[in-house]
Amino acid sequence: MTERNWHTHRDAKAARLNGASALLDGKFAKTEDVVKVLEALIKPGDKVVLEGDNQKQASFLSEALAKVDADKVHDLHMIMSSISRPEHLDIFDLGIATKMDFSYAGPQSTRVSQMIADKTMQVGDIHTYLELFGRLFIDLIPNVVLVAADKVDREGNLYTGFNTEETPTIVEAAAFHDGIVIVQANEIVDKVPRVDIPAGWVDVVIPADKPYQLEPLFTRDPQAISELQILMGMMAIRGIYEKHNVQTLNHGVGFNTSAIELLLPTYGEQLGLKGKICRNWELNPTPTLIPAIESGWVDSIHSFGGEVGMEKYIAARPDVFFVGKDGTMRSNRALGQVAGQYACDMFVGSTLQIDQWGNSSTVTHGRLSGFGGAPNMGSNPTGRRHSTAAWQSLKPADDPLAKGQKLVVQMVETFGSNKKPVFVDHLDAEEVRKEAKLANVPIMIYSEDTTHIVTEEGIAYLYKTDSMEERKAAIEAIAGVTPVGLRSNPEEVKKLRDKGIIALPEDLGVRRQDAKRSLLAAQTMDDLVEWSHGLYNPPAKFRSWS
Amino acid sequence: MEKLNFTYQNSEAVKKFVHVGVVASGDLEILLYPADETTIEIVTGSDGFKEVWKNVLDRFFTRYPLKGKFVIHDFGATPGVVNLRLTQAMEALNDEK
Amino acid sequence: MKSLWLFPGQGSQKAGMLTNVDPNLKQNVENWTGVKLLDTSEGYSDSQQIQLSILLLQINEVDQLKKMGWQPDLVAGHSLGVFGAAYAAGVISKEDVFKLVSLRAKLMQSSYPEGYGMGVIVGLSRQEVAELVKQVHTEENPVYLSNQNSELQNTLSGELNAIKQVLELASKQGAAKAKLLHVPNPSHSPLMANVAEQLDYEIGKLHLSNPACIYLANNNGHPVKKVADVKYDLANNLTHPVFWETMINVALEYNPQVSIEFSPGNAFTKLLKVKTDQVSNITLSEMTIDDADFLLNKWKGK
Repeated sequence: MTERNWHTHRDAKAARLNGASALLDGKFAKTEDVVKVLEALIKPGDKVVLEGDNQKQASFLSEALAKVDADKVHDLHMIMSSISRPEHLDIFDLGIATKMDFSYAGPQSTRVSQMIADKTMQVGDIHTYLELFGRLFIDLIPNVVLVAADKVDREGNLYTGFNTEETPTIVEAAAFHDGIVIVQANEIVDKVPRVDIPAGWVDVVIPADKPYQLEPLFTRDPQAISELQILMGMMAIRGIYEKHNVQTLNHGVGFNTSAIELLLPTYGEQLGLKGKICRNWELNPTPTLIPAIESGWVDSIHSFGGEVGMEKYIAARPDVFFVGKDGTMRSNRALGQVAGQYACDMFVGSTLQIDQWGNSSTVTHGRLSGFGGAPNMGSNPTGRRHSTAAWQSLKPADDPLAKGQKLVVQMVETFGSNKKPVFVDHLDAEEVRKEAKLANVPIMIYSEDTTHIVTEEGIAYLYKTDSMEERKAAIEAIAGVTPVGLRSNPEEVKKLRDKGIIALPEDLGVRRQDAKRSLLAAQTMDDLVEWSHGLYNPPAKFRSWS
Repeated sequence: MEKLNFTYQNSEAVKKFVHVGVVASGDLEILLYPADETTIEIVTGSDGFKEVWKNVLDRFFTRYPLKGKFVIHDFGATPGVVNLRLTQAMEALNDEK
Repeated sequence: MKSLWLFPGQGSQKAGMLTNVDPNLKQNVENWTGVKLLDTSEGYSDSQQIQLSILLLQINEVDQLKKMGWQPDLVAGHSLGVFGAAYAAGVISKEDVFKLVSLRAKLMQSSYPEGYGMGVIVGLSRQEVAELVKQVHTEENPVYLSNQNSELQNTLSGELNAIKQVLELASKQGAAKAKLLHVPNPSHSPLMANVAEQLDYEIGKLHLSNPACIYLANNNGHPVKKVADVKYDLANNLTHPVFWETMINVALEYNPQVSIEFSPGNAFTKLLKVKTDQVSNITLSEMTIDDADFLLNKWKGK
């Protein structure tokens, strides 16, 4: 009886690295050899993670991957958090890759939709970020990972700094299961400011021809915040944040939550809420939170990733942000998603469509944008056991074995800017499931997890409803003149108001006349820079004088 | 460019002149005068929304049956913004000077 | 610096628009096609006059820009505009493209008797318009959902009475605009199959090259890099809707910094500006080529 070879992966990895030895000086390859290195180390059919993070893109490696000889490297199974750049899809046109498992595709949603329809790209599935990271250790274990680092020292230790994001997670999955770790570096240095990923986990380092692409995704210009968003923000602070005593939270980034951040130092202060709510955050470093931080509202912020322009400000506020001994922030998407799931009282987000039952989706015809972090952040963790005032306040009164619930809040105007209703009887996603042949309707946040909906008309406290019928009625009562909202009637509204299931602004003591831009702690990017004592440095596209 | 007219039988008489909003893109302006009847005169740059206007006004007046003359200049506001301005007008009336 | 070159189709032509066109090129076009380009209002009631003149304007502009060293990364043509786009992408030669369009125009002119045309509906989604079309269309009373110009702007093509019925339904359903267009044939519908077949035959005889950049196809909104796909679009776009909205959504996913709209008119720059303010725009009908060159250099330097 022959003995099984229990280290086939180890042998295979050694053989590949051996085959590339002519191109390597220790761990280091030459910039101009990048395509040859990829051709030597990636085999047909490999599972490849390409860093496609939210903010950070391993753009030097992705451009090189699109240049490999498709006869040598083909039929790759790509695993990506975010499909962000054109060449992430070009590799499918070229036959270099055939299958994709991903989480988010916002920047390439039209092409992704086309490629699925014409079968150029076969989709394994669409995930939420944390779910995809989990599968890297179970059934999507990568053969090769292509990642980006800011600085690398002569031994191969990596510094990823502010934009660490999910790099350590991706690298760990490969490093400890005989996958090959290939890193593009902005700079090779004698000593890194700190070690984010140790050299022992790294196989190949290639200096890039230019710094990796980094997008400011979470910056919102206060000038673009509308009075309607301010009104909704006031209602949310009064009717949800204050009412449920929310201490720990995550804001899905958008103008609605930016408005809330800018209302804390003003409206929140008027209500006497400083120090009583919003103390610990899981949040990408949004510039619109600066006034609240400076005013003393915030105890701590942990971030999934960095935000271009916030570096100096963060470094100057180590009591608040997660800043290393070296003075720069470390972000971590995997741990941030865990925190957002289990350690936060509340998630607040927005969406493009909500159906009559309260399910949310951002998937529309011809655009498959995927999910990102929302399904995770916007779901109730039944595994949670620790109690806080906010979580406990949602416990049903009538069940002795019940427990609390995470607040999941969706904030939407009843009509989109294109004057089409946000509240619909059936999500576009239902059709898209058929078009894209997905196993399930791509719903971002389910009704059963949604505890509150806020519109310009009022708040629906869905967690208080006793039945789906009552839930539907609550949604109709605040759905304005959309076809869904037109089914409501005055008797129903009165009943729901009396039960406390819906609240109009007057029920919350919120005056619509107060919803003015002057109520925002900062009204322009310049104001934010001033609040930050000049430490915040807005990216070019947000500067009004360029 | 469209001119729309609506009438309602409402009970709560408007006691003073009120002006809310601005004629800016995505916004509208409402001038509300005391009157014996409820009439609404709308001038809008967005054609084809008569049904939507009627729904917004029906819903608003069911909750707040104000009697007066409404003159509205609309520049492409969404129903949400229209409702905001109408309710701001209603609040302005309730303010004590 | 990535650039997106936009080529409009028929609609914005006007008398005198050929005044500054290179006279040698104009002469060549007249020789190749046997058509004297009048550049007058009366002239522009004839399909060949319209199509050849617009193409001449565009090709003249493309030549001038390329001479100054500018190349497109993405090209998108609307209906007739696909020919200017294909030329700019290096797919087809000057003489071939003019002869082809001359034939196209002639075929279109004679393809339909009176009673056929197009309409436009603004304010309803494409799904909503499709439902209305379904209610009216029959083989004897044909009307098709055709161009997807933007999220809430779609056209109809078919028999005029059928179109009028759909327009009326659309108005009742709250369309902001529902009216007939001044177009004498049911372009971009299956009714144009005959013309497409003949064009296909003619194109088959030509030698065409792979596009040197990304060509956005009318017939399905896909970004295309193979000559076979461009060929199909040139011959057959008349029988398919122009999926302009999809084409532009895809183009924007390639992150162009600059858009250049070729003459005549500025319709597509306007549509683009509604979608994004992240792209710097040039409209050649509103400035000289030297001004355009100046701006492009300025933006490239940034």
